[in-house]
Amino acid sequence: MTTISAPPSRRVDAAVPQRRRSRIGSVARSSASAALGVWWLAPLVPMLLWAFADRWSFPERLPRQWGLDGWQTAFEAGAGSAMVWSLAVAVVVSVIATPLGAMAARALETHQIRHGRLVGVLLVLPVAVPPFAVVFGLTSVTLRWGIPGSIALITALVAFALPYTVSVMRAAYAGHDLTMEEQARTLGASPRSTLWRVHLPMVAPSLVMSAFLAFLVAWSDYLMTLVLGAGRVTTLAQLLGSSASSSGHDSSVAVIAVLIVAPPLVLLAVIHLSTRRTARA
Amino acid sequence: MSGNLEIRGIERSFGEMPVLDGVDLAVDAGQCVALLGPSGSGKSTLLRIVAGLDDPAAGEVYLDGRLVNGVAPERRRTSLVFQRPRLFPHLDVLDNVAFPLTVSGVRRREARASAARFLELVGLTGLASRRPSTLSGGQEQRVALARALAARPRVLLLDEPFSALDPEVRDDMHTLVRDLRAAVETTVLVVTHDRAEAAALADTVAVLLGGRIIAHDTIDALHTRPSCLALHDFLGGRNAVMGEVVAGRHLSSLGVLDVPWGTPDGRGSLVVRQEALRVAGPGEAWDVAGVVTSTRPHGARHLVQLDCSGAPLALETHLGPSLLGVGDRAHVVVPHEARHVIPDTTHQSPATTAGTAVVAPRRED
Repeated sequence: MTTISAPPSRRVDAAVPQRRRSRIGSVARSSASAALGVWWLAPLVPMLLWAFADRWSFPERLPRQWGLDGWQTAFEAGAGSAMVWSLAVAVVVSVIATPLGAMAARALETHQIRHGRLVGVLLVLPVAVPPFAVVFGLTSVTLRWGIPGSIALITALVAFALPYTVSVMRAAYAGHDLTMEEQARTLGASPRSTLWRVHLPMVAPSLVMSAFLAFLVAWSDYLMTLVLGAGRVTTLAQLLGSSASSSGHDSSVAVIAVLIVAPPLVLLAVIHLSTRRTARA
Repeated sequence: MSGNLEIRGIERSFGEMPVLDGVDLAVDAGQCVALLGPSGSGKSTLLRIVAGLDDPAAGEVYLDGRLVNGVAPERRRTSLVFQRPRLFPHLDVLDNVAFPLTVSGVRRREARASAARFLELVGLTGLASRRPSTLSGGQEQRVALARALAARPRVLLLDEPFSALDPEVRDDMHTLVRDLRAAVETTVLVVTHDRAEAAALADTVAVLLGGRIIAHDTIDALHTRPSCLALHDFLGGRNAVMGEVVAGRHLSSLGVLDVPWGTPDGRGSLVVRQEALRVAGPGEAWDVAGVVTSTRPHGARHLVQLDCSGAPLALETHLGPSLLGVGDRAHVVVPHEARHVIPDTTHQSPATTAGTAVVAPRRED
């Protein structure tokens, strides 16, 4: 009797510490996640407080007077047009760099080009080179050739976004099954139909991530816009730089900072939600 | 919706190595032909050439008498089902089946309605809204078949479609293909390296060896009357005994055996399937006597190796080692209809020796 009942009781005994261990693990994971969250989000709190603070004097811990003065000052200083510029530049760079990166990545991954390894290295070179050195050389060329600053800026930013789009898309194409496209063709799909109905939907999540990274490269750029835009292109990053160094109006600087931080966060949330919905479907 | 397929003199090399070396094959409308060959024999390459996914170095492919070399895959109406089902992961099951219809311009609602009928044909109506990733291997392959049929192909090409499935599921799929052929008239060319699958699916079997079709016949004829020793060997035949045919009798180490009427005189190998041989019962007439040299289980039966006056002979029997063990003497019946002689001029095996018995190289079935 004892021998028969012993094994189950041992199993029960063994299960208890295991359950305890897993509970401890789950608590540790939750604590680590919360700590990370605080680490990431804490810097945003003063920025948000400042954006809605009309008066906040030292050493008060919270603003004495809440209001929208900062927003008015920021938009009077040109935050609206700067935002339009930022969006336009980032969207154009993303629209150009994403398909270019995808095509380069596919060609590299399907070994359609000679010296693929060398080309791969060249494509990530912009990340390795200090941007200022490159931009300085480019400025003198664009000035001499009469190339408009906005076009020079877009071209340079696309070159700096390409390493990211190529890397993301190379990973996507490394796992992409080309025979899916052959399958589509034998089922009657033209090359165009195959592209739109099979190829692009299959790499869509990577394309979205790649476009987001290209958007970020252009959105957060300061140096290249400053040099190549030659004062004719004012983006939010530049406005933030000049406001922070000259105005001394903390709440309007905070508003511009909010305007810079918000769109990428919103985009990230949209991407996260849409990919989660796709995965669930 | 079924069409004729004719392949003439197809050649294809990979680098320096020729894979297809003048392949000729004809598949009549509504027929199912199995292309049987060992791994790496170029079967799949031939299928890709027919589908338009690969170009031959030489030769022509005709569909319904029309030359289709250079015609894009989507214009050939030759649906190809690969070994892996290749279902589009971003579409649900019904949209996968509707895919050939939507790309041909049919409105999505009508395409899905039509696809539902094909899904019903393969018995998966209940899974219409499922994602491919949630299906089992057999279900995925059923959907792939339904999708291929929804394209209403002139020729349905199957590239080892069931080789990754469990034996039980594979049997179900063979039944399904037979049922589908009855329901949807279509010409089928199926590539396989599995003799049992070829026998289960096809009306006739074409054997691709050495870059050429060396035989095209019914599976029965290929097994019992192989045209050459290479074919006999490939089909798992274990008995090939060199000798001389004189006036309708084959003389060899096995003794003198009558051979079918019409067998020409001269040197030739007597081939007889090991499944056709049987141990004679008490008092029954027998043709060959031998001593058991080895015995081993072979599925539900036993494979017994005999030494018949120096000539090795293999036979499959239900008699286990307790009834027929090593050293026992056995009398063997060689059914007349199972005897076939391959004339020496056509035999391709380098292992033959004049006047001695030779057994085709051992193969695991």
